[in-house]
Amino acid sequence: MGILSILLWTPAVGALLLVLIPGQRSGIIQIIANLVTTLVFILACWLAALYDHHDAGLQFSEYFPLNPVLGSAYALGVDGISMPMLVLASFLTSISLLASVSISSSVKGYYICMLLLEFGMLGVFLAQDWALFYIFWEVTLIPLFFLIGRWGGKRKHTASLNFVLYTMGGSIFMLLSLLAISQYDLEHAGSLMTSMHLAAKDMPRYEQILVFLGFLIGFGVKMPIFPLHGWLPLAHVEAPSPVSILLSGILLKMGAYGLIRSVAMLPEAALTLQSLLVFLALFSMLYGGLLAWRQNDLKAMVAYSSVSHMGIVLLGIATLNETGLMGAVIQMTAHGLVAGALFLLVGLLYERTHTRNVQDYSSLVQVMPRFALFMTITLLATMGLPGSIGFIAELHTIIGGFQQWGWLWLFFCLSFLINAAYAIRTIGLLFTGPVKPHMQHIPDLSRYELLAAGSMSAGIVFFGFWPTALIDLSASTIAQLNSLIMLRGL
Amino acid sequence: MDALVVLIPLLPLLAAAIIGIGHLSGLLTGEGSENTTADIAVWAITLSCLHTLILLGADILAKNTGAFSVGQWLVSDSLIIRLNFITTGFNAKLAALFSILLVIVSRFSVNYMHRETGFHRFYFVLCLFASAILLLVLAGNAVVTFIGWEIAGVCSFLLIAYAYDRPVAIANATRVFVTNRIGDAGFITGIGLCYVWIDTVNWGKVNASASILTPGQASGIALCFAIAAFAKSAQLPFTPWLARAMEGPTPSSAVFYGAVMIHAGGFLVIQLQPIFEQAPFPMLLLAVTGFATALYSTFVGLTQTDVKSSLVFATTGQLGLMFLECGLGFWQLASWHLCAHAVVRGYLFLTSPSMMYVTQDNPIKPVPPFISQMRWAYVASLQRLWLDQITDWALVKPILRLAQDMYYFDDYIVDRFMGAPAPAIQAISSLAQQEEKSFGTDLENDSNEFAKGTGLAGKLTEWTSAIVHWFEERWMVQSVSKTSHGTARKLAIAANQVERLIFRPRYLVLFVFITLMVAF
Repeated sequence: MGILSILLWTPAVGALLLVLIPGQRSGIIQIIANLVTTLVFILACWLAALYDHHDAGLQFSEYFPLNPVLGSAYALGVDGISMPMLVLASFLTSISLLASVSISSSVKGYYICMLLLEFGMLGVFLAQDWALFYIFWEVTLIPLFFLIGRWGGKRKHTASLNFVLYTMGGSIFMLLSLLAISQYDLEHAGSLMTSMHLAAKDMPRYEQILVFLGFLIGFGVKMPIFPLHGWLPLAHVEAPSPVSILLSGILLKMGAYGLIRSVAMLPEAALTLQSLLVFLALFSMLYGGLLAWRQNDLKAMVAYSSVSHMGIVLLGIATLNETGLMGAVIQMTAHGLVAGALFLLVGLLYERTHTRNVQDYSSLVQVMPRFALFMTITLLATMGLPGSIGFIAELHTIIGGFQQWGWLWLFFCLSFLINAAYAIRTIGLLFTGPVKPHMQHIPDLSRYELLAAGSMSAGIVFFGFWPTALIDLSASTIAQLNSLIMLRGL
Repeated sequence: MDALVVLIPLLPLLAAAIIGIGHLSGLLTGEGSENTTADIAVWAITLSCLHTLILLGADILAKNTGAFSVGQWLVSDSLIIRLNFITTGFNAKLAALFSILLVIVSRFSVNYMHRETGFHRFYFVLCLFASAILLLVLAGNAVVTFIGWEIAGVCSFLLIAYAYDRPVAIANATRVFVTNRIGDAGFITGIGLCYVWIDTVNWGKVNASASILTPGQASGIALCFAIAAFAKSAQLPFTPWLARAMEGPTPSSAVFYGAVMIHAGGFLVIQLQPIFEQAPFPMLLLAVTGFATALYSTFVGLTQTDVKSSLVFATTGQLGLMFLECGLGFWQLASWHLCAHAVVRGYLFLTSPSMMYVTQDNPIKPVPPFISQMRWAYVASLQRLWLDQITDWALVKPILRLAQDMYYFDDYIVDRFMGAPAPAIQAISSLAQQEEKSFGTDLENDSNEFAKGTGLAGKLTEWTSAIVHWFEERWMVQSVSKTSHGTARKLAIAANQVERLIFRPRYLVLFVFITLMVAF
């Protein structure tokens, strides 16, 4: 059993362990769950330390045939694209468990669901077999359905149902595409990513395009891309805030990650559909930005800003050159940290005041200086201020895109402007203005919350000043991916 | 031994981080934890001092290779910025001296700052400053030096504004910071010119390639760094900022403006000796400015009546002499002068609170009679030659007026086009409105009231976002709810009915019969 299997199965074992503990002992359950996620995070960090960033291929590979007839296998591996995502996933899960202290009803079920969710997420990023990938993709749905539907807000049932229906609908298209490719895979007879990539080469061009569209719909729902984002505002707003952290921090990245994998599989189709991708990306950015600007509900604002920021990821992918892809991969990490931190802080604020309307707040800096510090850092990172990780990602995407198209960049800048408008406005409304009597007795962040918010902000600022660590991790894999696109696409 | 150099700025930085995080999380607050904070700071700076001494010893024994690189910080095309250090020569000596002075001041402050409201804040800034100034002195390239230079500037700002509830302190701190920014502009231009002409920002390579530069290029680079040095070391015409900087607590004055930071300008010039030697005009400028500052400071210093002000002008006078020595080519003398002055001035500043007590029976000597006859000189000296006023008149007022014009332009043209940011005051203008908000409206309503823009661009955004919002509500959110709760429900009811029909006994029996008939 390799390190990847240990990493993958630790949360599942943790969930099993929780099953055995009686539900009344909520203290023990919390401690065990936190220990398990911390252990997973440490394992992921250790893995990142062991990871050789000069090697572009798969590392720590594990292979065990599951179904020899169909050729599916339990195949795990990491490369430069999944490595940052693994660390991010384990980090954000630890953070969200730290922020889950306020959950008081059926604690046991909640923590089991959270650990199963982590299991599913890690599986998606580790799987090197499309069948396994699909299984883990669906595994994440079940705990999320319960997490939103059971511990959510006012419209939790609609939200959880919408979320599951949308994602299931999308994954049908993904499944169809996978089946279509496997038609051409008779001699390899397997669903390994590598063999599927070879099989995709033999497909006629129009079929490749159809298959890519299927993937685009499947992953686009999760990401989300403009017309497929209907589940997102409701799910993000209604989910309890620790779940929102994971939802926007990791679940959206699963979509982007899958899309990068399918671009690697079908570069010709991606090149053919490049203009569609760019259009969708720019439209998502502007659309999400404008809607975020319109929201007075803080959580809805963050949710729509996620649409806008994932548009940047799609744009980076759509450039199909090295710099742009690098921008997309960094933006995935950046958005994970920034949106996660925003949901965390907004959730903590909501716990104290029970209102999410930004107009109810004013002059919070006097009562909550620590909260104000972290919220301001995060909001400034949202607008891509130099010195924050958001800047590095957006800069790469801009440069990558500018190599490809000139004037389209006007729209890109417009969306930055809108981002800046709502970020600055939120800072202004929350922290300045007249003193309101009923906002004068809000406790500041407690120690655990400080740890959670502080480590997120530290990550945002650290990678803003020293992005080399992040860039080096993915650089060789992205260079290889880019040469593949160049080779096959041209 | 070279690798030790990393720890020298790192230890105080760690101490600053620990104190900062402790203070932020509420672990280090109040009088009770003063000892902890002071211990952390003093020990970190002392350890760092020991390291500088070891480094210096190794340098004297010729065990150092002269440079140490931690790694690359930024790579873009041919611009490579490493995190590297110089471990020999004047840099190592000065680092040792500065760190000793820092240890003394940090120890001195334990008692001096006792029970001050910002005790922890003071030590946080002091540690950060110690880290920055040691980085500045030991850095191997211009960019890393500049990082130290800037952090030191920010620390100076923070300590001048130590009593931030007093408007005077804030105004002075801002003035000092802005004055220093002029020097920073020179520094950045200097880095840029180095990169353009020599293709490197490493001090060693910059100095090594001084001979291949034309005198014009060397003058350009030297001039930029000279401006940076003048601003940091309070030479003319920047001298008045130093007097304003005395607003901070005395130990900070001692370490910033007596012993350490004020010498950064002199250090920079000495560091760039080969470049300056290629450039006759900046050398002349160094000499003239230094001499003028020395004269000016002596002249103004004669009429100062409080201890700190007279120390300020004595400091700038001595620094002026250093620049004069540099300008005349006596580099060795200037560096000795710098070190000696740092020690003496640090001591004088630290003892300044008890100066009146010490000099009780020893009154200040009056000026010679031929000077005391000149009344105009007395007034001029008291007014510090109107340097502040001249700066105000020549720089601050025109800029203010320009700002007013810009404001007008902004108000009447840009705002009409782009829209004005809504001031937070208008967010809720009356109590009644607030009541209405908290009782009357529900949170789920369309946020029409909220998303308002002004100006052309603002209105455009508003309308677009309204359209987008309508689209989102109508087609994205509601349609899904309708499908999942309308059509789907109808379908489900229909399916249920079919099922109910099928499972009635008579149909079931019929089914069985049909199956049997088919089977046989």
